[in-house]
Amino acid sequence: MHGLDLLSWILWMPIIGVLGVLLMPKEKTTAMKTWALINTIITFALTLVLYSKFDTTVSGMQQAFNVRIPWIPQFHIYYALGVDGISLPMILLTGLLFMLCILSSWTQIKKSIKAYFALLLLLQSTVFGVFMSMDFFLFYVYWEVMLIPMFFLIGVWGGENREYAAVKFFLYTFFGSILMLVGIVALYFVTGQTDSSFDILALSGGKFTTQTLTLFGQTLSFSKLFFVFMFIGFAVKVPVFPFHTWLPHAHVQAPTAISVILAGVLLKMGTYGFLRIAFPIFPDSAKYFATAIAWLGLINVIYGALCAMAQTDVKKLIAYSSVSHMGFVMLGLAAMTVQGMNGAVLQMFNHGTSTAMMFFMIGILYERSHHRWIVKPDGSRGYGGLYTALPVYSIIFIIGMFASMGLPGMSGFISEALIFLGIYQRFSTITVLALFGLLIGAAYLLWMFKRMFFGEVNPEVKEYSDMTKLEVLYMAPLCVAVILFGIWPSPILNMMKASVGQLVSLLATF
Amino acid sequence: MDYTLSTVAPIVLLPFFAFVINAFIVKKFTNIAVAISTGAIFISFLFALRIFADFMNVYSVGYHIHKTFDWFNLSAGPHNFNVKMGIYIDNMTAVMLLMVTAAATLIHVFSTWYMHDDPRFGRFFVYLSLFTSAMLGLVLSDNLLSVFIFWELMGFCSYSLIGFYYEKEGAGNASMKAFMTTRVGDVFFLLGILALWSVVGSVQFTDIYNAIAAGKFAGLSINVLGLSLSVAGIAAFSIFMGTMGKSAQVPLQVWLPDAMWGPTPCSALIHAATMVAAGVYLSLRMYPLMELAQLTTFIAYIGGITAFGAATIALVQTDIKAVLAYSTISQLGYMVIGIGVGSYNASFMHLITHAVFKACLFLSAGSVIHSIHCQEMPQMGGLRKKLPYTFFAMLLCCFAIAGVPFFSGFVSKDRILGDALLLALSNPVYIPVALLGFGGAFLTAFYMFRMLFLTFFGAPRDHHIYDHAHDEHLHWNSNIPLLILSVFTLGLFYSGSFTGQGEVNLFGQRNEWFSTLIHKPDAQSLHHFAEYKSEEFGRVDTRDKLELPKAQYDASHGLSEHEAHHVHQVHQIGALLSIIIAFSGIFLAYLMYIKKTVNPGWWTGTFAGWTKALKNRYYFDDLYVGKIIQRGLIPFNDMLAKFDMNFYDKYAIDGWATVNRVAYTIARWFDNTIIDSGMVDGTGLSVRGMNFVLRSVQSGKIQMYFIVIVVVLAGYIWTLNY
Repeated sequence: MHGLDLLSWILWMPIIGVLGVLLMPKEKTTAMKTWALINTIITFALTLVLYSKFDTTVSGMQQAFNVRIPWIPQFHIYYALGVDGISLPMILLTGLLFMLCILSSWTQIKKSIKAYFALLLLLQSTVFGVFMSMDFFLFYVYWEVMLIPMFFLIGVWGGENREYAAVKFFLYTFFGSILMLVGIVALYFVTGQTDSSFDILALSGGKFTTQTLTLFGQTLSFSKLFFVFMFIGFAVKVPVFPFHTWLPHAHVQAPTAISVILAGVLLKMGTYGFLRIAFPIFPDSAKYFATAIAWLGLINVIYGALCAMAQTDVKKLIAYSSVSHMGFVMLGLAAMTVQGMNGAVLQMFNHGTSTAMMFFMIGILYERSHHRWIVKPDGSRGYGGLYTALPVYSIIFIIGMFASMGLPGMSGFISEALIFLGIYQRFSTITVLALFGLLIGAAYLLWMFKRMFFGEVNPEVKEYSDMTKLEVLYMAPLCVAVILFGIWPSPILNMMKASVGQLVSLLATF
Repeated sequence: MDYTLSTVAPIVLLPFFAFVINAFIVKKFTNIAVAISTGAIFISFLFALRIFADFMNVYSVGYHIHKTFDWFNLSAGPHNFNVKMGIYIDNMTAVMLLMVTAAATLIHVFSTWYMHDDPRFGRFFVYLSLFTSAMLGLVLSDNLLSVFIFWELMGFCSYSLIGFYYEKEGAGNASMKAFMTTRVGDVFFLLGILALWSVVGSVQFTDIYNAIAAGKFAGLSINVLGLSLSVAGIAAFSIFMGTMGKSAQVPLQVWLPDAMWGPTPCSALIHAATMVAAGVYLSLRMYPLMELAQLTTFIAYIGGITAFGAATIALVQTDIKAVLAYSTISQLGYMVIGIGVGSYNASFMHLITHAVFKACLFLSAGSVIHSIHCQEMPQMGGLRKKLPYTFFAMLLCCFAIAGVPFFSGFVSKDRILGDALLLALSNPVYIPVALLGFGGAFLTAFYMFRMLFLTFFGAPRDHHIYDHAHDEHLHWNSNIPLLILSVFTLGLFYSGSFTGQGEVNLFGQRNEWFSTLIHKPDAQSLHHFAEYKSEEFGRVDTRDKLELPKAQYDASHGLSEHEAHHVHQVHQIGALLSIIIAFSGIFLAYLMYIKKTVNPGWWTGTFAGWTKALKNRYYFDDLYVGKIIQRGLIPFNDMLAKFDMNFYDKYAIDGWATVNRVAYTIARWFDNTIIDSGMVDGTGLSVRGMNFVLRSVQSGKIQMYFIVIVVVLAGYIWTLNY
């Protein structure tokens, strides 16, 4: 009965891209790239259409876009899609970043081009699937399927240690997903296997506060147990300490575009999972564990930042900085206040743009230097004097770096300030400690910058060419985004505030 | 005058647009970019002048403009939260605006000469424009959040300008040090904002004043690390930490001397006249909070230690810019003393007078450096004849900073010291502050004239340098800005009455325009703030005039006629003391460096340990960089990172693979020997499955991977067809 509506168009457009790429002969690489680019441009345009039609005053799922068609009716599984203010920023981000990633991969990818672009587009579809699914089973399918293209993209096109990193990424996330799967199955049975048993919206609202279950002779709260399961499932993705060690490996080994997607979008799937699933379904437990989540967030902030400071591989440094920045998101979520939650969702978006910038910039540099050492293992300078040698590169790098640092006037500041404002009302000690994360955050970035860009020009660096027009082209939208949303955050905040407000109200009742 | 967006915003926006335009055109059209920057700030200056004239014309204590607009809004459903931005102009703002735009304009003009031959001439102006707009934005802010935003933006500009000569290793270190040290203060500042926001529900100045007047902070405390702390105390201390960072107060003073790596005009603008003073400006704005939290004694001590300590370090400096850097720290210390002893308007006045004479001093130093390409005073000497205009400007400034009567520094500094003395007489706690203040004043007079004598008097010590120095000619963009600034070191401009509503009184306290307009926001005036109205932009302007006549002012201070007399007497004694101290400092410098009857070598020899400590800046840098960072933080981080990757990840995470292997071996044995039990099969299968994944990760097998993908795709398509 439903035709393919807007959400489905966005979801399936990359698949059309995949099919197109697969049908093309192997040698026609330019045609394939162009096709992929056009495809992602159309997808991004569709997300913008979605944005233009989005009603910012509605707090729940937007009726106009809802899709709900039976998929496996025997098990009450639906192909259900929806969009609200929490998922829309993520959808926009996904649309934007994949488009830029195609451009960045244009010259950087040299082997198996066909497979690469097919997998990249497949990845985009699965990411959209995660952000749009309103059926828990469908969500899980996308969550898992996403691992497959990711696994190969890291494992095939990655660095020298790519296989280890890919397997690690796969198994780590898989471990988390299994716990989530247990939760899904438990919910399915506890709700009596009805048509709404996989319906995320129907499950939401704190319906499992009283159920208990007996395990090994212990009577446990259903809600608490499965909140913890789901928390771990999503925490691996964020990643929350102590489930974070896959991230440095995966980032360092992944090719540039995949690092961008990983940090820019995939990590947000974890926090999105909290916002869409773990918190609304088990609000009582979310409230119960809020302090613990806040402490974990704090550990992320500080531990990630301190580890980042010790890194001599610049990509690893930025990878650890993601751990630190995602800690801020966790803090905002744990606050469960209007400011904290809005700040967290905004930080998800802003971190997506700023960290994408950093990874792109490192990739651009890597193409020239073929190493990423700030300090080489023998103790000599890896770079040095880049400021003199590559002026355009340096300026764009500075924009990305200060956006990442959360300099006021740049996007990161507003989200961090909101998060702090939110968390201060709940956990003053954690706030005070987390503020030092800002200090260390500035320290590792500036120290890195000093060692790479200041000083006399390293003879090796002299050989590098400055950024090409193509590279400037795909960095420009991100530069605009980090500055524009730093000065004028309303477009993003207006999108999310109604939905976030609803979630805050829900949590406040427990 | 009607204040709308169009009459106020250009002050900030003109330099900002100059920045934006120049950022794109600077490479090709350097000269046009420079002209745009300079023109923009000059027009801003005209706007500021108009506002200043308006405020002088109204001449009322409570006259102010407050306009707001919504920045962003998170209100949804039952939740209400919006963040307002706005402009707030009162007498203080009007004076600040005039000072900042005037100093910035002159420094822009000077830079067109000083930086002309620099390969990055244009880029310098790009930063300068951004900086100026940030500083003006800060001054116009009506709330702490936008103060913080502009505050950090200035920090960024400062970072960029200190690292302007980025080929040099030292510039990189200095810029990072500056940013990080001030960031320590900034982090606290943010905490202060959070604390205030949690109580007041906004961080607009007027809301904060209202909350204080309404006693909203009474008895409120928060729990941090198990300690119960008063919210007002936390907020006041945190915000003052921001001041300590930005205004380089002990123990966060270490960055400012290193900031001299930047080009000299930027030192004049950022690290002397405006940005560093913004710290003091913040504490002045938040004075009611400082008083509420009873932080003033602490503030006075910090100021006293800084004023005196920095002055002692300045004694042994040989680099002309280093002397000025330490003197800046020291003078900022005086402003902070002023806040601490409740000498509100004198503190603010010192901020203004210092900005003028210190900007002039830096530009003079720049003029000297530009002509001889050397910063070391031991290689100078006798430059008076080569650089007559620079000498004249510097002489006036040295008089001003030393506190010679009729010069601006005397008018402001003496009043701070007078109030410190007054307080010390009634409360012995403040005696050390007064002593440090007067002691510092003596040292200031001495080291400034030491600098002047070493540079301009005596015989040239390095003939090569001297002979190559060019003779100075009167030129519009080299020494005219110096001379304009130096004229404004005359005390008359600050202590005079231009409105006919007061009388000129050299030792008087409140008969001049400055003291009439700038008032400590005490309990009396705080209640007036309650009547302050803010308006949305675009509405018709209504003027709020709150007359606070002199008699009422005295009454509000609770001063009887007798007490007022006492105050007056103490201030006169203080002034006399200041004059004696200033002249004896100058005289000592004269004996040492002109008459040479006192040998400075004897002093450094006799107090060798002391001298060594001074040369090492009291070992602060050793402690911070050497001990805390290099021996503490960095090894700790390395250890943590090693723990993360080489221990936690390697054993706790990858260890599961080993566990798996063992389980697999056991399972296989179990499977082979005891063929039974579905459980064993299951385990074996799952482990084997995992092993399959592990083994199959090889780049050659793409075809196989595609089978998986095709299966998935088939699933998708099936979905569609269902």
